[in-house]
Amino acid sequence: MENAIVDLYLNNPQVKQQWRDFLTSLDITNFNDNEVDKIDFTIGIYDGDHLVATGSAAGNVLKYIGVCNKGVTPGARFNAIVGELVNRLFQQHVFHQFVFTKLKYSESFQHIGFSELTHSDTAAFLENGSPDVNDYLADLPRVAEQASRRVAGIVMNANPFTLGHRYLVDQAAKENDVVYVFVVNTDASLFTTAERFDLVKAGVADLTNVIVVDGGEYMVSYATFPAYFLPTPDQTVRYQTTLDARIFRNVIAPALHIQTRYVGSEPVSRTTGIYNEVLQAELPPVVGVKVVDRNTTAHDDYITATAVRRLIRDDDLEQVQALVPASTYDFIVAHKTVLQARIQKGMNIDGN
Amino acid sequence: MAENEERLRRTMMFVPGNNPAMVKDAGIYGADSIMFDLEDAVSMAEKDAARDLVYEALQTQDYADAELVVRVNGQDTTYYDNDVKAMVKAGIDVIRLPKAETADMVTKLDADVAAAEKEFGRKAGSTHIMAAIESAKGVLNAPAIAAASDRMIGVALSAEDYTTDMKTHRYPDGAELEFARNMVLHAARAAGIAAFDTVFTNMDDTEGFYRETRYIHQLGFDGKSLVNPRQIPMVNEVYEPTEKEILNAKNVINAIEEARIKGSGVISMNGQMVDRPVVLRAQRVMRLAKASNLVDEEGNYLEK
Amino acid sequence: MEIKETAVAGTLESSDIQIMVSEGTNGIAIDLQSDVEKQFGDQIRSVITETLNKLGVTDAKVKAVDKGALDCVVKARTIAAAQRATDTTDQPAWEVL
Repeated sequence: MENAIVDLYLNNPQVKQQWRDFLTSLDITNFNDNEVDKIDFTIGIYDGDHLVATGSAAGNVLKYIGVCNKGVTPGARFNAIVGELVNRLFQQHVFHQFVFTKLKYSESFQHIGFSELTHSDTAAFLENGSPDVNDYLADLPRVAEQASRRVAGIVMNANPFTLGHRYLVDQAAKENDVVYVFVVNTDASLFTTAERFDLVKAGVADLTNVIVVDGGEYMVSYATFPAYFLPTPDQTVRYQTTLDARIFRNVIAPALHIQTRYVGSEPVSRTTGIYNEVLQAELPPVVGVKVVDRNTTAHDDYITATAVRRLIRDDDLEQVQALVPASTYDFIVAHKTVLQARIQKGMNIDGN
Repeated sequence: MAENEERLRRTMMFVPGNNPAMVKDAGIYGADSIMFDLEDAVSMAEKDAARDLVYEALQTQDYADAELVVRVNGQDTTYYDNDVKAMVKAGIDVIRLPKAETADMVTKLDADVAAAEKEFGRKAGSTHIMAAIESAKGVLNAPAIAAASDRMIGVALSAEDYTTDMKTHRYPDGAELEFARNMVLHAARAAGIAAFDTVFTNMDDTEGFYRETRYIHQLGFDGKSLVNPRQIPMVNEVYEPTEKEILNAKNVINAIEEARIKGSGVISMNGQMVDRPVVLRAQRVMRLAKASNLVDEEGNYLEK
Repeated sequence: MEIKETAVAGTLESSDIQIMVSEGTNGIAIDLQSDVEKQFGDQIRSVITETLNKLGVTDAKVKAVDKGALDCVVKARTIAAAQRATDTTDQPAWEVL
């Protein structure tokens, strides 16, 4: 049949080469192993022996979509490929999907039911299905007369929650009526999402004006900001963080009346450093950015979650005690073997 | 054998059952039969949706005079029962059973259709059936399959699965299908039902398509299964009777008319008795001629 | 019938409509996107609502992306989505078809 959609098996080197060549001819050139390895499945359309359209999915993110319209109704192959990707994800009960694409394709995606969350000069970020960002925002807790309060927001992975995080939250809590702490939702860290969330909650339990919430898929998620979790060239980090910042500025902050975003100064991580720079460039004047200097230990060492993870790896829990609140420390002591087993199994602890 | 002598079945066009655009437009190409496919053209995850779609389309769409056929999923699947029930309820003309291997399978379909007719208040016996033969076993059992039910209107050869079963594949000259074609055709003729040849999938090979169609026309098949509407006029062209055949048929028809007027029980022409097969062939030629617009209302040949 | 799970039926191909139904609390709430919204939007919504009501669904969120579907297609996709969402695809709703 004409334009039949077929599975492409990228573990076949010949198929993979053809797929790469086709995408390269369409100016899609990032074949970083980190990105390609995340692909769950890939489909394509052939015209004779020639690949003329392809698309992939990684988790709930559509990727590597490329279509050649030569000799056919423009849009037909695009709709077929994206429609099939979306349907297959639906069949797997993935009802909420994202795509991160060149700005010029945003309209094509919107035409088949995607909603644009935000765009930059070059890229766009869209979602499809349910629950969407409106459902996410509607579910977040609010306080009375929130519109007239001083409201701040902090986004953290907290892998795990340290005294550094606590210091940042303290500053925000002192200077505002309400502080939202968004815990990164993507489960790609040593501490699981549920563990990180619980440790943040426990670590700020005494602060009555702090609301800890799930960051959902809209803040530093694998969808918005994959570079946070994968080594990535600076340029890509900038693209991604620009979109992440704009979603916060245009969608999240207005819904919750957040006027200030608090971030910790970043002396170590290059990726997070770029993120902070981009936040400062993108958020003001709509949302202010307050950079809080990291607090240090008695020995003038910066407190970082990375240091905590390394100490767990090295089985040096004594030193951990100085870096984390009691709630985090107790958890680490109780789960030391599980955490060390995860590291043994290959969990990267040097990233975020 | 169902009452089906009046129908031309030159072209049976396959329509993927989950494709609304094709389901909607299926009537505009002039196929003699339209076969909505719930089986191979529909992925497992979409079986339910395709069934719903074909059902609703059958309630509302106008397919003119085309004979409406649905290929249900096989009896070894969990979709079969609901497919049969839904299509009987929808009032389909013919249910096509895929992968028919034994007469028992046809008997089962017959019983299932009868039960569904009763359940949904359709006239008993109003739903016809046909069987697709797709394996060596099916070919060897073709005569029994073709004669297994009064509802049967035809048998079809399905070459893709058959050649796989035979450890070969399709070749341009069709030698690998010779035995199966003849078996299916003989089974159909012996049972007095229609014989449908298999699909030809290479749309770029027009010459090959004509060659194959002429060949199966020569063998005596009623027609061919098609995957693309572009093939319909090509098949019809091959099945067009010649001017001489039409004049001949017209003479036979005149002889019948004359016998009727005279009140004679015997039809004669040129001093010879005209046998029933000759009458049937003449009637078929005239139907083909009308369908190809080669004759006027009275059956007079129109110069091209 | 009560919608507990999210489910989808239909595609984004021309002449089709993709219908996603999910749990709702406030009647049948339809978010429709269609190129022919102006001429046919109300008609599409009414077919969806009527079909769901016949299935006994009174509360559901519906997202529909229409690509020029006929009423019979809208109805078929609504039935398929609702039956998937209620995990009843193997028991077709004969009285609604």
